Amino acid sequence: METAVEINGIKKFYNGKVKALDGIDLRVGAGKVFAVLGPNGAGKTTLMRILTTQIKPTSGDASIFGLDVMKDDSETRKLISYVPQEMSVWTDISGYENLLIYAKIYGIPAGERKKLINGMLRTMGIESFAGSLVRNYSGGMIRRLEIACALIIKPKILFLDEPTIGLDPSARKTVWEKLMSFKDENGVTIFFNTHYMDEADIYSDQIAIMNAGKIVKLGTAQELKHSLGGEIISFGIEGKISAGAVKKIRGIKIVTGATADENGLRVFASDAGVALPRITDILEKGGVYIKEVSIKKPTLDDVFLKYAGTKIETAERVTDIRYTRDRIKR
Amino acid sequence: MIAMMDSLRNILVMIELEARRIRHDRTELYVRAVQPVLWLVIYGSVMSSVKLIPTGGMSYIAYITPGVLLQSTAFVSIFFGLTIVWEKESGILKKLLVTPASRYSIVIGRSMAAGVRSILQAVIIIPIAMLIGVAFIPNPAYFILAFALIFLISAGFAAISIFIASFLKTRERFMGIGQAITFPLFFASNALYPIELMPPLLKEFALVNPMSYAVDAIRGLLISGNISNLAFDISAITIFVVVMLAIASVSFKRIIE
Repeated sequence: METAVEINGIKKFYNGKVKALDGIDLRVGAGKVFAVLGPNGAGKTTLMRILTTQIKPTSGDASIFGLDVMKDDSETRKLISYVPQEMSVWTDISGYENLLIYAKIYGIPAGERKKLINGMLRTMGIESFAGSLVRNYSGGMIRRLEIACALIIKPKILFLDEPTIGLDPSARKTVWEKLMSFKDENGVTIFFNTHYMDEADIYSDQIAIMNAGKIVKLGTAQELKHSLGGEIISFGIEGKISAGAVKKIRGIKIVTGATADENGLRVFASDAGVALPRITDILEKGGVYIKEVSIKKPTLDDVFLKYAGTKIETAERVTDIRYTRDRIKR
Repeated sequence: MIAMMDSLRNILVMIELEARRIRHDRTELYVRAVQPVLWLVIYGSVMSSVKLIPTGGMSYIAYITPGVLLQSTAFVSIFFGLTIVWEKESGILKKLLVTPASRYSIVIGRSMAAGVRSILQAVIIIPIAMLIGVAFIPNPAYFILAFALIFLISAGFAAISIFIASFLKTRERFMGIGQAITFPLFFASNALYPIELMPPLLKEFALVNPMSYAVDAIRGLLISGNISNLAFDISAITIFVVVMLAIASVSFKRIIE
């Protein structure tokens, strides 16, 4: 299979000290949908800005369809499209005019522009607002217009930085449906950053979990979930679990991982029914009182929690972005 | 060669973008025209009756018309940097940089887009000046050249503003600096009085102030008809614009990182 993105040992330090990226190696096949999942500050945006030729890495190299993003940057830019996290359309002209300006920048011949733009507006479901000022669009419509501006050149690869941040669930769904139908028709490779687990789960072929400038886990959503073992057992407890007890639990043969914090204990095991009595035994011997036990299949949230070691602080971040986007829109 | 054509096309697209924005909202054009009109109507009429300033035979209002025109041009262009700051705060600049458009064509294009606004300012101000009795040289070629020069120097002023925008990354800070630059450009030039009247130090400044050369050229073309200095003025303006565009292109890198 053709390689769309290849990254070898990319590092990026700011001011010589702050490690934004700490050695990234990655390969993305052509025609795939690739998700980079990570908390705020994980380095997702920095990685995307390097791949889209905006900034240079401190060391390492990367290529897009065989073109070096540093040496062949101007050639690379002809193959790629990019939708930044911040708003990237002009709000004081119409949606049609935004597409027209980008069509001209990309040198689309005059005879083809009108047809292409109208087609793109239809694909994204904003044709009835083509003539209105973008200022009057909803957040979801602006996102779809931004994606339309990126897709009008039929890029080989589309980079999306948090494509649905700040949108309500139904608007998010529409954005993705439109994107997917375009992808099915045109076979574009999609590389996107997100912190929405469900999006990575549903829409991507492969997921990289990033934390603190590193890729901590790579695989399909299925693989990632399986990698935790079959089931997750959560304990609500009273009393403190000793490190020794956690170690003992991890030592149980069918247990693939265990994490403890002030709220309780989480154990990943291939068979919860077999593991449960042995864990309870260890806990009781350690003087810990078990308040409740629950067993469930792992979700991507659990995968993320295990490999990134943190939960994604969604709420705070979304308000932040929404505020910025609203302020800019004015 | 192809790269040249592409860059030229991108510059034209940036100019077109500005024209489209103005077409949707003209209020700013009118609001910005108020100040220069007040300069002509109030300051101009009062000072004409004083007759203290040697104007070489023309009426005082006519004498200051080119200066007032260019001051409004400078104002519009310098505050154009605000647009760049806004585009930086939003994702527009990032997105433009990922298009095949070269970085310098983006800088030159954005700078020249300020020229569109300046020309339209002139189109509002000149008829008003005519109404209050300023006589212009009725030569279409001179008008075309004057407009071309206004357009050119706007690009230079806008480049200054892109340069400043690369340091000041917020709109609030930009507002203050914008004022601090336009006023010396205006007052320390031959816009309102001949340079010969100035104290020595100020005279030195006025001689390196690009505004002086632009005022001299426009005054020659539109008011006095004396174009003996024109070639020199145009060279000075061109050097200023080219140097500023080069500086702006280099500093543009700072804006994006």
